[in-house]
Amino acid sequence: MENFQSHLAQNRYDRQLSSPIDMAMENDHTISTANAPSTETDPLTNALVKVANQRDKAAFAALFRHFMPKIRAFGLQRLNQQGLAMDLVQETMTLVWTKAHLYNADKGSVTTWVFTIMRNQCFDMLRRIQHNREDAFGDDIWPIYDVAVNQEDNKDHKFTAKLLAHLDALPLAQRQVVQGIYMQELTQQELADALKVPIGTIKSRLRLGLEKLKSFLETQHD
Amino acid sequence: MIKHHPHTDLLLAHAQGELPLSMSIAVAAHCALCHECQSLVSRYTDQAAERAFLAPSEATIENGTSETDSPQDDAWLQMLSHIMALPDAVQQEADHSVSPTVTVNHKNVRYEIPRVFRQHIAHPWQQIGKVSRMRFDVDENNTRASLLHIDAQGEIPQHTHKGYELTLLLAGEFSDLHGHYVPGDFIILDGNTQHSPITKSGCLCYTVLDAPLYFTKGLSKLLNPIGELIY
Repeated sequence: MENFQSHLAQNRYDRQLSSPIDMAMENDHTISTANAPSTETDPLTNALVKVANQRDKAAFAALFRHFMPKIRAFGLQRLNQQGLAMDLVQETMTLVWTKAHLYNADKGSVTTWVFTIMRNQCFDMLRRIQHNREDAFGDDIWPIYDVAVNQEDNKDHKFTAKLLAHLDALPLAQRQVVQGIYMQELTQQELADALKVPIGTIKSRLRLGLEKLKSFLETQHD
Repeated sequence: MIKHHPHTDLLLAHAQGELPLSMSIAVAAHCALCHECQSLVSRYTDQAAERAFLAPSEATIENGTSETDSPQDDAWLQMLSHIMALPDAVQQEADHSVSPTVTVNHKNVRYEIPRVFRQHIAHPWQQIGKVSRMRFDVDENNTRASLLHIDAQGEIPQHTHKGYELTLLLAGEFSDLHGHYVPGDFIILDGNTQHSPITKSGCLCYTVLDAPLYFTKGLSKLLNPIGELIY
């Protein structure tokens, strides 16, 4: 499966090289080929790598020129309003600039990466318009930023598991918050929104809940 | 083995970001459990990206420096320099490892479910007999999205739906007259189908319903308001 995909990616790069846009981009830019082999073949990848490694403004400007009209067209089609389409360009390209270092050429083309960012932003913007909701679900639905399952510190994990074993002894309000933060990996703000309480309340419930859990552990150890 | 998958049209719409939240969650969660559909979606995403960004009709618009015909040129340049004034987000997120699952606790059992549910499972459970439900807040008119938990030997009375009913089995098993289901199975029934799911060992599902349930048999017919409660 892996091989099959990288084969596809290779084809795509080959095809891109012959397109007039990319030829233009290539002329626009002197290309350093010091990077991984796949980056040599694709000017878009090249530009993004330069943005990631050197915060290269010329490279970013080229990416901006390349994607801007297309993101705008996509935005106009989905969001149906000039200003919103412009917002979509801004949100998408801002993420391209600030998260360029998270792009992984092995996982797919730059085109797909930028599309993914754009689609996710657009999804959240649409909910904002249609439902007047400030939620951000796009990136949970289509994970982008390399959600590799890392072998996190195992000891930490075991401790958390031990701690959470006492969860049921907590009052509901505290349990919800501790669960939300440690098991569902919500931010305090997301929890506050979900439970419709101020963030200060979340903080104090979390503190109380953790203190109580800690005291369970201590009495057990003694 | 997973036998019931989303229709390819649904996968395609999902890749293009055209489904509502309730359904996007369902397809994403299925893909987290099903490599086949996962790789179909990434292929569709590649294709959608090419359509959006490499469409041949657009290729002529651009040649490096000539975008001066746009009346909003200044606005674009301003946006560009505004963006490039921002620092990158390196340290905050680069090495933040993310688990592909989140945990939901019910009746002293911990269930690992796909991460897409992350922001939805802080809601309380409501219980009626062996059936408990956690209703999500998706805010889509008549559509209801919930986690549904059925205890061992539990059953939902025979019912039909006005619209569609989607069930994604996340843990455990259940059967109805159409078959037996395993985690990952993605079952869509339309308004004409009657069924009464029953589980031997208990199950946890994600359900999307775009209209309340209508019970069709015996005593439960009198209990139609339950339909509102269960899903």
